[in-house]
Amino acid sequence: MNIVTKDIRFGNEIVTLTNQRVLFWEAQEALILSDIHIGKTAHFRQHGIAVPDAILLKDLKRLQVLIENFNPKKLLVVGDLFHAEYNQNFDIFIQWMQQFDDLEKILIRGNHDRFSTRFYESLGFHTKKQQAYNQLVFVHETVKVTEGMHYISGHIHPGVRIQMKGRQYLKLPSFQVNSQQLILPAFSLFTGLNTRFHLEDVVHYAFTEDAILEL
Amino acid sequence: MKLINKIEVRKELTTNNKAQQKNSSKTKDPKPKTKKMPTLEHSEGYRIIHNWMADKGFSPFDFQLKAWKKYAHDYHGLVVAPTGFGKTYSMFLAVLIDYLNHPEQYKKGIKLLWISPLRSLAKDLQIAMQTAIDEIGLDWQAAVRNGDTSTAVRRKQERNMPDILLTTPETMHLLFSQKKNSRWFKNIRCVVVDEWHELLSTKRGVLTELAIARLRSLSPKIRIWGVSATIGNLEEAKNVLIPYEGVKTNIVTSKEKKKLKIISLLPDEVEVLPWAGHLGRELAKSVLKVIYENNTTLVFTNTRSQAELWYQSLLEADADLAGQIAIHHGSIDAKLRNWIEDAINQNLLKVVVCTSSLDLGVDFKPVDCVVQIGSAKGIARFIQRAGRSGHSPHEISKVYFVPTHTLELIEVSALKEAVKQRDVEAREPMVLTYDVLVQFLVTLAVGEGFQREETFEMIRQTHAFSYMTQDDFEWAMQFITKGGTTLHAYEEFHKVVFDEEKELYVVKSRRISMLHRMNIGAIVSDAMLRVRYMKGGHLGMIEEYFISKLKVGMPFVLAGRILEIVHIKDMTVFVRKSKAKKAITPSWKGGRLPLTSYLSHYLRLKLNDALQPSIRERELKFLNPLLAMQQAHSHIPKSNEFLVEKIQAREGCHLFFYPFEGRLVNEIMASLIAYRIGKLLPITFSIAMNDYGFGLLSDQDIPVTEENLIKILSKKNLMDDVVASINASEVASRKFRDIAVIAGLVIQSQPGARKTNKSLQSSSSLIFKVLEDYEPNNLLLRQAYTEVFNEQLEEARLQEAFDRISKSTVILKEAKGYTPLSFPIKVDALRDTISSEKLSDRIARLQKQQYKLIT
Repeated sequence: MNIVTKDIRFGNEIVTLTNQRVLFWEAQEALILSDIHIGKTAHFRQHGIAVPDAILLKDLKRLQVLIENFNPKKLLVVGDLFHAEYNQNFDIFIQWMQQFDDLEKILIRGNHDRFSTRFYESLGFHTKKQQAYNQLVFVHETVKVTEGMHYISGHIHPGVRIQMKGRQYLKLPSFQVNSQQLILPAFSLFTGLNTRFHLEDVVHYAFTEDAILEL
Repeated sequence: MKLINKIEVRKELTTNNKAQQKNSSKTKDPKPKTKKMPTLEHSEGYRIIHNWMADKGFSPFDFQLKAWKKYAHDYHGLVVAPTGFGKTYSMFLAVLIDYLNHPEQYKKGIKLLWISPLRSLAKDLQIAMQTAIDEIGLDWQAAVRNGDTSTAVRRKQERNMPDILLTTPETMHLLFSQKKNSRWFKNIRCVVVDEWHELLSTKRGVLTELAIARLRSLSPKIRIWGVSATIGNLEEAKNVLIPYEGVKTNIVTSKEKKKLKIISLLPDEVEVLPWAGHLGRELAKSVLKVIYENNTTLVFTNTRSQAELWYQSLLEADADLAGQIAIHHGSIDAKLRNWIEDAINQNLLKVVVCTSSLDLGVDFKPVDCVVQIGSAKGIARFIQRAGRSGHSPHEISKVYFVPTHTLELIEVSALKEAVKQRDVEAREPMVLTYDVLVQFLVTLAVGEGFQREETFEMIRQTHAFSYMTQDDFEWAMQFITKGGTTLHAYEEFHKVVFDEEKELYVVKSRRISMLHRMNIGAIVSDAMLRVRYMKGGHLGMIEEYFISKLKVGMPFVLAGRILEIVHIKDMTVFVRKSKAKKAITPSWKGGRLPLTSYLSHYLRLKLNDALQPSIRERELKFLNPLLAMQQAHSHIPKSNEFLVEKIQAREGCHLFFYPFEGRLVNEIMASLIAYRIGKLLPITFSIAMNDYGFGLLSDQDIPVTEENLIKILSKKNLMDDVVASINASEVASRKFRDIAVIAGLVIQSQPGARKTNKSLQSSSSLIFKVLEDYEPNNLLLRQAYTEVFNEQLEEARLQEAFDRISKSTVILKEAKGYTPLSFPIKVDALRDTISSEKLSDRIARLQKQQYKLIT
């Protein structure tokens, strides 16, 4: 796995974008990601659609490498940690989490996160609807902005469609950033891309296995 | 009414009857031992039917009589006749005669099952049949059951099935998914598949084959008949429908031929026509003239959006048509379509603009003229459309051709030649469609449950699955019981489970049953939204893709009306009438058919001597200035030449090739050529194609010479290179879309449905990628590639094309600007990208050049 990074200024902070669908905030030693959708593969299978677990295992493996690489103190999930109801995938996840007992884990609740606070706490996650550190506010869905504050969210699964010369097209996942908002790409590889949603005055940071591209 | 007493039984008939009964109970000898065959004409049943016909002033055609006789002698078969000659009566009356002669053999419930591809066919057929039954004095009931049938009527039918059921392949499978369904099918004597040529080469045909196999397992003596228009491979068509051993089969062909008159509408000058695509609407005036010269005209277009545009432009050209003009296509609400069909029959309409939605179906008596807008793409299709006019026997079918771009006039010339030769396309049946297999197995499990070995044997009898191995079947069983891979047994996956008590494979989850029933069928459309007025009243369906580009208040056209979106909720677009004069026409993605190989053969022949047209070739003479220009700036390929044009333009370097092999084969050739050039240097192309040729466009110069073109166009390693090039492009992934939906891997959201199953949404391309990465042996993946081979690639046709090219002289021309041949390809919107570069290199190049973000 090739980790490419790019530091940008967001609000008064420096944050690190990566081509591996996570954001690192060095000042807080926090690894930030969104939309993991644990349990999606099993949820599909429960409804008679055969999707292998290999894709979940790959997501977890990627996250493991990222945690080892950035060595954060905090893991901040900006919503949609779980996809739907409790299923077999959760056991795999819970077992996998044990190796990161020391990590402080925070979940900003997303539209898919419908379990009780107690349940999340049993997994070591503090849950919040919204959480602010200095001027940075973490919230799952994009909200109306208040002056002076800066928002980091998920939910959209942003991506870009790029037209090149010779009528060629490319579709890539991306971070969307403007002066007050930053939208994270979905972490799970078993998610689609929304290329139709755009913030105002946005800069897209699209990425591939080898590069981050400012558009 | 009881007719048994009246029947005077002839001596010969009884002997034969006994002989037949013996035959069927002991051996299945195809030749009955009785030497003297009883004549049908002497039977009571025949007399009754004959008298009924005579009362109406008819007498049976030869082929009808032959079909009745064959049916009486326990044959299965295929009836082939042009439209308007009473194909329906050939089979329907055959069953009635048999019943009148042997009423004791018929039990309660469905006796005749009539499967037709179109819902709209059923209604009129039912009326015709019921009228005949009533006039003859039988107590039979004929009824329709399909997607339009109300729940109340369906429940009533389930309690008491009619004697004749008219239905569709999908509804048959839906019936199979009901509890205790086999009781309905135990007493069926005959199954008729109407318009079999339409079903034959589709997955719906496979659904039909499977339905018949199951009917036959429930009612072994069932007689199987198909009704078909003329196609190139009738014998095969019959064998696909009736692959069973030990049965007598026959093809009954009518001698009657339809006379056809083709007239092309030419604009005043050759320049008047736009070069590509856009409709030749200047010809609206000429079309109007044709409309007023005739009683009722059907205007056929190739796409729904073209239909909407023509409807608008005809109205613009003559406002008096309002009220006498209608538009009919697949995205218009069923009720509206039914109303239009009735209105045609009642002679209320002067003109109907339509798509293939009116290709088939019951004949509209008032229609005496057909206008075809743009290429009909195939000979059979053209003849079929033409046959919609002048429907009564021996009347001449009149068809006017309106070109949408100039070159299509060569096609008319080719069509005329082909019609003269009566050379009609073959339709290839589909085989080993695992998606349909998986769906069928789950259907059986949702219904009564199934037994493994019996079901394997039953499915293996069909033509489609005759080459299915035990391993393939085991894979399908694994797929529906364990979710695929043999390595992991996922506990939570229990789509189909083995019920130890009943010893059957069944579906227990109600939710899975429900999802499956919603998903039965083999027609996959893009996500569609229903369109309705705020005050109520449905207008039709529209693609989500199109709607997503519109904003609230923006005017668009549907069903010939200018509308604007108010809001969207529950997969329904609420609209109101718009006052805007101009509006956007939706683009529906489907419905672009490729030119058939038969037609392209004639096309190449015509092009060969296009510059020296004979006196009677009006179209070619008309085209002369344009052809001369092609010759002056580039070249007109003779039939032993292969033309390649290289054109430097602002957008990049274009390379155009002209194999004239139809859109799909051209697409494959395009990827292949791109792949082969890509081996010479790393390069990325975008590809465009139409039915005549294809173009490669790159931002770099494409270094070709006549020498390396011979290599690039060689037939050496053809299939290997094709496979490699297909892997590179995403053709298979696109093919997988339909497969994933049919096999139930992707849940389609239903228009108008409250529940959109959001948590189960995923795209087929995502699933495709997952399976490629983690389950490469999945048969559905393999099928995607096979389908690309058979349908897209038409391997045989491709081989033939390269054979021809290898014998031709390759001619490379560098042109200054676009040529008459290349321009239509250049403007064609259908494009695809193929690359031999690494993604990162493309990105690097992207950073250096100008790009545009699509918003």
